[in-house]
Amino acid sequence: MTPTLFQYLTISLLQIIVILGFVMTLVPLLTFAERKVIAYVQVRLGATRVAGGLWGAQRGRTHQSRTLTGGLNGLMWFLGRVPVFSILRGLPMFIADALKLLTKEDIVPTDADKAVFVLSPALAMVAAFTVFAAISFAPGALFYFPAKFPFLGGLPFNGFLTDLNVGLLFILGVASVGVYGIVLGAWASNSKYPLLGGLRSAAQIVSYEVPLTLSLLVPVVLTGSLNFNEMSTRMAVDVPANGLVGIGRTLLMFVGFFVYTTCGFAETNRTPFDLAEAENELVAGFHTEYSGMKFSFYFLSEYASMITVSALAAAFFLGGHYLMPFGLQHVWNHFFQHSSNAFLAWTCMPSILWFLLKIFFLLFCFLWVRATVPRYRYDQLMNVGWKFLIPYTLVMFVIAALLRYAA
Amino acid sequence: MTSSLLRTLIPFDIYGGMKLTGKYFGKVLRQANRGAKRTHIVVEYPEVPTTLMPRFRGRLQMIKDEQGEVKCVCCLACEKICPTQVITIEKGKKEGRKTPFPVRYDFEMERCIFCEFCVESCGFDSIILNHQFELAAYDREDFSHAMEGGFQNMFDTTPVGHYSVASDD
Repeated sequence: MTPTLFQYLTISLLQIIVILGFVMTLVPLLTFAERKVIAYVQVRLGATRVAGGLWGAQRGRTHQSRTLTGGLNGLMWFLGRVPVFSILRGLPMFIADALKLLTKEDIVPTDADKAVFVLSPALAMVAAFTVFAAISFAPGALFYFPAKFPFLGGLPFNGFLTDLNVGLLFILGVASVGVYGIVLGAWASNSKYPLLGGLRSAAQIVSYEVPLTLSLLVPVVLTGSLNFNEMSTRMAVDVPANGLVGIGRTLLMFVGFFVYTTCGFAETNRTPFDLAEAENELVAGFHTEYSGMKFSFYFLSEYASMITVSALAAAFFLGGHYLMPFGLQHVWNHFFQHSSNAFLAWTCMPSILWFLLKIFFLLFCFLWVRATVPRYRYDQLMNVGWKFLIPYTLVMFVIAALLRYAA
Repeated sequence: MTSSLLRTLIPFDIYGGMKLTGKYFGKVLRQANRGAKRTHIVVEYPEVPTTLMPRFRGRLQMIKDEQGEVKCVCCLACEKICPTQVITIEKGKKEGRKTPFPVRYDFEMERCIFCEFCVESCGFDSIILNHQFELAAYDREDFSHAMEGGFQNMFDTTPVGHYSVASDD
């Protein structure tokens, strides 16, 4: 049954709320994970308790229950006795982080271009969040509203917001708008460090847009589609007639995954390519003059674009909604599709679970790389972009075209 | 030639680094808050008591022998050798005791530099530097230690130090 306009709008609104809620809860959790992962890699423990004395002075033991933070610390310490929960002990810290950002004074520099200064963080954030409209978290309906549900009974609640037939173009186009937020904000600050950071960021993103798009052309050529759902499904389970083509496709996806993720790191301004905010040269780069909520808008948009890049990598290279990465799902299906084991048979089906797991793993890789690889020099960054990644992706593109021809 | 080209094309060094950091991540993740076995170098100090090195120099403390008698015989060696002159001893007598008895033994911890010269100079093993390291206090008087009548007791650890590991010997 087709929904009426109002029903369609209501379901879309609910989907927007769910997706935004997902991203907005993932971002603070990511900041916590970032602290923890980097600490563990550096043989530290990271945040294990909340500092400060919220509602009451805190003195002496850190888990005195006289204050709110003390009580939280005590609770988390108690939970930490269970080994699984011990890594979660610093979790209340993200509330403190959010509160700090919310209550911080919002300074606008005197000589700043006020309108642009205020608008550019919003631009960065809108660009980063609009992308989620075209990302599909589950291939079909997530669930159907029960028949007795008022107004919406029997209608599907899809795992995607829109099933755009040019989804990939939409994602790439809107994600590129994000650089305007950075450059305009840097320029509007009327300060030399943000300006330098913004220019660097612009040059970097423009350079890396080319290999990023070229590496995403590989799945486009192999599947002959621009639709997010169709691409990810066909990359995962489409069986090429020729066995050799299948092997070549898997190898291509394996290499393409690493090339794409490298470009994705540069696109999101993450280490080792975070030249835009190289703090030893540029204080904090493009957001030096930003504080309070405006800063957190930039912060949110950076983490949201991390999620976007992870989602794209998971969908096109790691098998999307299916279990096996690199297009190996058809091999898996061949063995287990008719298995009597219910669980094994279930692993052959697409599920939102696999997609989310892949996204989380890739987000972990973002943090892992940040804790491992030092920042590139600017000329090295440009070398990597123009001399290695673009030739790499061009060769991959040619191979993909050959594979397409052979299949 | 081939190997250098390969090294340029495939980032082996990044792979090695990721392997190393991943190894440490896994180790610390498995051993976080497990107590006995741990890779991480962090000590969760107020909740988990620290183990100190045996030669750690904490606060000055007087020792009594098996009969509960003060071992100090007022030779004034510690008072003389103290570079900051924080020890003041008053010689006296006590009934039933052949050796001199310290009527007063004052220790001004606010000037003490914890050099342990006093303990080294003591020929009767009557003073030690115990393992107490939380010596901060809210009042200046809390730093004045005396045998009797003072704010703090020379024979015990300071009460303000809740978390210190008191000396066992």
